[in-house]
Amino acid sequence: MFKNVLIPISSEFYNKLVLERGFSLAEKFNSKINLIYIIEEKTLNQTDRLSNSYRTPYEIAETKNEIIRKQKLAADNIIFEDAKYFFSNKKIPFESKIHQGEFSKVIKNELKNKEYDLVLMGFNKECLLRYRVFDEVKIPIWVVNKTDGRSILAVCSNLAPNIKVPDISLKLSEVLNLELNMIYVIDIEDSVQVDEKFKRSDKKTEKDLMFIAQSFIQKMENKGINVILLKGSFEKEVIKATEKYNPKIVIIGREQKKKGLLGLPVKNFKRKMVEKCNYSILYLN
Amino acid sequence: MLKNNNFLKKLLKIRNRRDIFFIILAFLIVAIFYIAPTPKGLSHDGQVMIGILILAAILWITEAIPLAVTGLLIMIIQPLLHVMSPSDVFSSFGNQAVFFLIGAFILTGAIEKHGLHRRIALKFLSYFEKSPRFFTLGIMTSCAFLSFIMPEHGVAALFLPIIASILIAMKIVPKQSNFGKISMISVAFGCSIGSLGTLIGGARNIYAVGVLSDIGINITFFDWMKYSMPVVFIALPLVWLILQFSFPIEIKDISAARKEIKNQVAVEGKMSKNESIVLIILIITIILWIFFSSHQYFGLAVIAILGSVLLFLTGVVNWKDVEKRVPWGIILLYGGAITLGIGINDTGAGNWIADQIFNMAGVNLYLVILMMIVLTVLLTNVMSNIGAVAILLPIGIAVAPVAGMSPLLSSMIIALSGGLAFMFVIATPGNAITYSSGYFSIRDLFKAGIFANIICIIVVYLVALLYWIGVLGLQII
Repeated sequence: MFKNVLIPISSEFYNKLVLERGFSLAEKFNSKINLIYIIEEKTLNQTDRLSNSYRTPYEIAETKNEIIRKQKLAADNIIFEDAKYFFSNKKIPFESKIHQGEFSKVIKNELKNKEYDLVLMGFNKECLLRYRVFDEVKIPIWVVNKTDGRSILAVCSNLAPNIKVPDISLKLSEVLNLELNMIYVIDIEDSVQVDEKFKRSDKKTEKDLMFIAQSFIQKMENKGINVILLKGSFEKEVIKATEKYNPKIVIIGREQKKKGLLGLPVKNFKRKMVEKCNYSILYLN
Repeated sequence: MLKNNNFLKKLLKIRNRRDIFFIILAFLIVAIFYIAPTPKGLSHDGQVMIGILILAAILWITEAIPLAVTGLLIMIIQPLLHVMSPSDVFSSFGNQAVFFLIGAFILTGAIEKHGLHRRIALKFLSYFEKSPRFFTLGIMTSCAFLSFIMPEHGVAALFLPIIASILIAMKIVPKQSNFGKISMISVAFGCSIGSLGTLIGGARNIYAVGVLSDIGINITFFDWMKYSMPVVFIALPLVWLILQFSFPIEIKDISAARKEIKNQVAVEGKMSKNESIVLIILIITIILWIFFSSHQYFGLAVIAILGSVLLFLTGVVNWKDVEKRVPWGIILLYGGAITLGIGINDTGAGNWIADQIFNMAGVNLYLVILMMIVLTVLLTNVMSNIGAVAILLPIGIAVAPVAGMSPLLSSMIIALSGGLAFMFVIATPGNAITYSSGYFSIRDLFKAGIFANIICIIVVYLVALLYWIGVLGLQII
């Protein structure tokens, strides 16, 4: 399932846990790991901009080169050394390289150049990254967080077609030997139904949404999966469910959430979920 | 209409929407102040100057255009609106503080060119290799001391690779190690605190001296040190303690750091002839500044330029080095700032603002001093240091007599508080440079910075009351 895994590590944030998770996935799925260390251009540009009036272009360039040199050194001596410990020593095929650029842009370029099945990454809200990658990448993204749970929480809702989530959750629960819990959230704040082509319907009544949910639950029960039906705001219900089930990973599909404040499209919905949720999340995109 | 749309599209390609919004807003405010009826007690020129002050604040805070260009804009907008004559505006460039800045930058350029600063930094650090905690004190102290003889941003840029190499040699993982966090934040905070100490550390210091000389108060290099050093030497250990409490150090072994410093010292090798010449000229210049920078002798600028000329005569620098290492932008920014101060003062806008503040809040000297410190610290955290001081200093000087204190006291309070930008990455280039190392997060800086700012506010307040007023009699007119 995850044959080629891309692990992007930004100079803004490094979490060893990502390598640990990469190792355990590679062991289970015989994956090949590609590690890219991204020297974050945004940070460099900000430093340049702030120094603009106080330092000469020559001095600014000198400092920028020093920063890049030290970041490359940190990548070689710390991060790639850790990676060697996790992958090379355990004979897991892995490649590493260093890129300079904007985090999301570098990942998108890398995905254009090579076939990948999964992006495995860390997350830190206390940095300059915008994580546009969550919305702009079409392959699954696994955001790693430290958890001790032994289950998977699969999330379905009226805001997604709910095709990939049940299948992949089932497969992962078998391969990783984790208990599967599935919820279906009817988002009453955004009462539309998203179809298989990811199109949002017109507003539906709660009764209609309930009917569609019930038929989905029935379908899952036929496959032997119990689904808990929840009503409320999608984000809030998912967060509540994570606290209840303490999962190792939360699997979320391609939710087409549009309605936000004053009916405007919700921006950075996935990023906000990652920020609020203290568990690992797999976005199936 | 179509042409206008094309123009707008082209403009949007050059500048982003946010910048355009703030540029338009800034000019709109000046226009409103120009055409609005004038309130009682304020002249039309004074009202326009307040509009220009707000324009400067908007553009310096948002940096919609480069800081130096805002400086130029301030200079030209005053004659354009007939608030000041062109000759008055440009005569501010004749202020000796401008030439002090140029001379100091040439000296700094020579130090950087020959790597003298690196040698001094490593020498300092080698005295602090006993324990991880002591080492972080060493980083902070070294940065502070070096910021006495060169601008703080240059010191931060110097220390970043030195400390990063040491941390990498120690296999300290970025953002996960408290030792890594303290080490890098110590660079930023050490530079900021050290920059208060002398007139060279930050351009805002010499700006304050320039504005004061315009109203007949002359400050020598030694005078400045006499006022500022207590703040530096009290704040430095206290801020270091705050860092220790904020991020308890998790490592005990410092041997890898010791080895790395030794390696770096070995790479430096013996002191070259040019380095020695730069060191001698630097020492002579500092001695002359300390003892002969008063008005009956040579003044600050003559000594600075003398030092620079000596560097040229001995051949340790050439004009290419000056082109490479003198940031003319800061001099333009300085020019704009000083004309802003003169305009606010001469048009009576400062006095009017002071009256409005005191009509609302009443006059309480101790409260006024505290408010000045807090306001300056808050403003300097969200905009460039010199910008914050340039906006507040003219008001502070106008407020001083009404509150019963001398303009020198209010200037020292604002100029020193203007260097205390600890909380945000964007607050000062030193913070941004060290942040780019990746060893601490925005939150780490805020967590340590907010406490460091609180403690420094208390330090400046107590020094103002007990030392400047109590011992030096700087008060109170």
